[in-house]
Amino acid sequence: MRSRITLYITLGALTGSAVSLHAQDRGGTGKAVYEKSCALCHAAGIAGAPKLGDAGEWSARLRAGIATLYRSAVAGTPNGMPAKGGNLSLSGAEVRAAVDYMVRSAGGAPKSSAVPGGKRATASARGAAKPAAGNPAQIGAAPASKPARETPTPTVVAAAPSGTPAQAAIDPNAFNRLLAPPGGRNPPPAEDGIHDPGNPGIHALQPPLESFQRLPRANAGNRVNWVAALGKKQIQPRWDLGDPQAEPSAMDLNIVREVKGSMPDVVYPHRQHTEWLDCSNCHPAIFVPQKGANQISMAAILLGQKCGVCHGKVAFPVSECRLCHSRKKDAPASSTAAVPAAEARK
Amino acid sequence: MRPGNRARAYAALGAAIVALTLVPGGARRALAEYGDVVINNYSDAAGVRPAVFPHWFHRVRFRCKVCHSDLGFKFKAGGNEINMLKIIDGQFCGACHNGNIAWSVENCDLCHSGKPGTPTQVHESTIQQLAAPAETPAAAKK
Ligand code: HEC
Ligand code: HEC
Ligand code: HEC
Ligand code: HEC
Ligand code: HEC
Ligand code: HEC
Ligand code: HEC
Repeated sequence: MRSRITLYITLGALTGSAVSLHAQDRGGTGKAVYEKSCALCHAAGIAGAPKLGDAGEWSARLRAGIATLYRSAVAGTPNGMPAKGGNLSLSGAEVRAAVDYMVRSAGGAPKSSAVPGGKRATASARGAAKPAAGNPAQIGAAPASKPARETPTPTVVAAAPSGTPAQAAIDPNAFNRLLAPPGGRNPPPAEDGIHDPGNPGIHALQPPLESFQRLPRANAGNRVNWVAALGKKQIQPRWDLGDPQAEPSAMDLNIVREVKGSMPDVVYPHRQHTEWLDCSNCHPAIFVPQKGANQISMAAILLGQKCGVCHGKVAFPVSECRLCHSRKKDAPASSTAAVPAAEARK
Repeated sequence: MRPGNRARAYAALGAAIVALTLVPGGARRALAEYGDVVINNYSDAAGVRPAVFPHWFHRVRFRCKVCHSDLGFKFKAGGNEINMLKIIDGQFCGACHNGNIAWSVENCDLCHSGKPGTPTQVHESTIQQLAAPAETPAAAKK
């Protein structure tokens, strides 16, 4: 156990001096929040809550990484830890401060992040490499043995609260067995599960929400309506590598693809596509430029072919049926010729 | 427990039940941004973290056409055989990450930022979204 904790200390040092600053100014808050909202269960260990000061229990939990503990505390766990201890008025930062306080009470990681020399470690860790492979760059990553690297390290970025579920026993009778919980959407890189939170460069990356909060929202994908963002000139992505002035010449040509069955017909709009893409991105590799000449089916799209080359990968995902299936069939009952949803949204 | 605290404890336990219903499954999944591409053809073997390419960030700055037509990136994660030599010679990422259009290549950590062992993938792609039992590796990868 000891050696584990030492590892965390070193990893904590890696994340640098910014962390120690945070850790220091939160000492007071952490204790206050703990006493008000957490002591209830965590003082006596009610319902299996890890007790304040119980080093054995906390260090075992710390193995999942402090980021996981933060998540459990903010989002709750299925084993009795209520989200934010049941006090939903707490901010994410306050909850994390309380976690730091509790972990520190047991001699765990956040205290260690104040270890001096963190800054040096950060500087020398540029180009940190996976140590096992014996790359020269590995000096940077020296403290991290492989298993420790895969463990989330202290992340003290106080960005978007993450509602991620904790890793915990799965209730076989959970209401949603397959539907993934909404979770913390657009989390900052250090918490997103594919970035390595132990990477010293991680905090230099932009948290998506910082960018997205200025853009029109959508229901899926990045949760940004990219067509509207571009249309309203809220973003000005370049059309040319070096020339910020260059403009695309969008082509306004809709292709209607009739769909058998009840689903509305598909309107494929060239305009929105040629704002972003070159003709050669689609023609002829993905689509022969001739109306009706291409076999397109949902099965192909779901497999990442045809429209699915982009939709379901980078452009809005396949779940947004009505953005593509936007034209009502000419059914005798409803004669109101539908405007394609894509157009109506403009 | 002090008696005065009991009411609060019950309230908190009530909240625990609510939390229970709100946190189903409980499997840990990655929540990275839609369209983030992990590129790991050579990285693991070479002892660096896999590269992570964020589409959302770049599409705020460039249309798809610049990369996928002018610079010749194929629409295939891991399909471009990118390596550092090509990058310092100004191809692929190196067409921009050259200290001129964007910060230069010595900032290894900004690109090589993935968790070691993460396979090449487009995050949140349709295939990854298809429902899978929470305990299978496929779901864990989400
Ligand atoms: C109603 C009782 C209750 C309250 C109030 C409560 N907790 Fe908990 N907490 C628990 C229980 C029970 C567990 C063990 C759950 C588990 O193992 O998943 C737990 C576990 C935890 C864990 C470890 C989670 C893990 O992933 O191992 C952390 C961290 C935590 N609580 C933080 C807090 C904080 C911070 C507060 C106050 C803001 C708080 N708790 C308030 C009952 C409570
Ligand atoms: C068409 C030009 C271009 C290409 C090609 C390009 N980038 Fe970038 N990239 C940029 C620009 C511009 C920035 C912003 C630079 C700045 O903030 O000064 C950036 C920033 C980034 C960032 C930091 C994002 C953040 O959070 O600040 C990462 C990571 C990145 N690029 C990775 C890559 C990788 C990996 C590749 C190759 C697979 C690549 N880029 C190819 C132009 C490009
Ligand atoms: C995102 C992909 C995409 C892009 C980019 C794109 N097209 Fe198309 N194009 C299509 C699809 C899909 C069809 C319909 C094919 C079908 O119905 O089988 C089509 C059809 C056409 C047709 C046939 C129209 C008809 O009535 O037969 C022409 C001509 C055409 N495109 C020209 C262009 C030109 C010129 C550009 C660039 C300015 C362009 N396209 C860009 C996807 C694209
Ligand atoms: C080469 C990539 C690519 C292909 C292939 C492609 N799209 Fe798109 N599509 C985009 C991009 C990029 C956007 C801009 C919106 C976004 O990114 O979410 C877009 C936008 C759209 C929109 C506009 C939505 C709106 O809000 O106005 C519709 C409708 C659409 N696509 C339908 C289709 C259909 C149908 C096909 C197949 C016939 C198809 N797309 C093939 C890249 C593609
Ligand atoms: C990116 C655009 C796009 C999205 C999003 C989309 N579809 Fe489709 N869909 C198409 C195209 C294109 C066709 C083929 C039309 C044709 O036959 O020419 C199609 C065909 C279909 C068909 C007819 C059977 C078949 O497989 O060809 C059904 C049913 C269908 N879609 C249902 C859905 C449902 C349900 C959703 C939402 C989960 C959805 N689609 C989302 C573009 C889309
Ligand atoms: C602009 C983004 C970017 C930057 C900056 C960058 N790389 Fe890479 N690097 C990549 C990409 C993309 C790959 C291909 C990854 C793969 O397929 O595994 C790669 C591959 C590699 C590889 C394996 C392939 C090869 O060429 O041997 C090594 C080793 C590597 N990078 C080291 C570094 C080091 C060291 C630095 C800093 C001096 C660095 N990289 C900076 C994007 C970048
Ligand atoms: C700054 C450069 C850049 C821009 C801008 C860009 N991409 Fe990409 N794209 C990439 C890179 C890099 C990859 C990964 C290639 C690799 O792994 O070799 C990629 C991969 C893809 C893939 C392949 C996913 C798969 O199936 O494996 C699709 C689809 C894609 N991009 C669509 C788009 C669309 C649509 C846009 C515009 C909204 C766009 N890209 C804008 C650089 C860019």
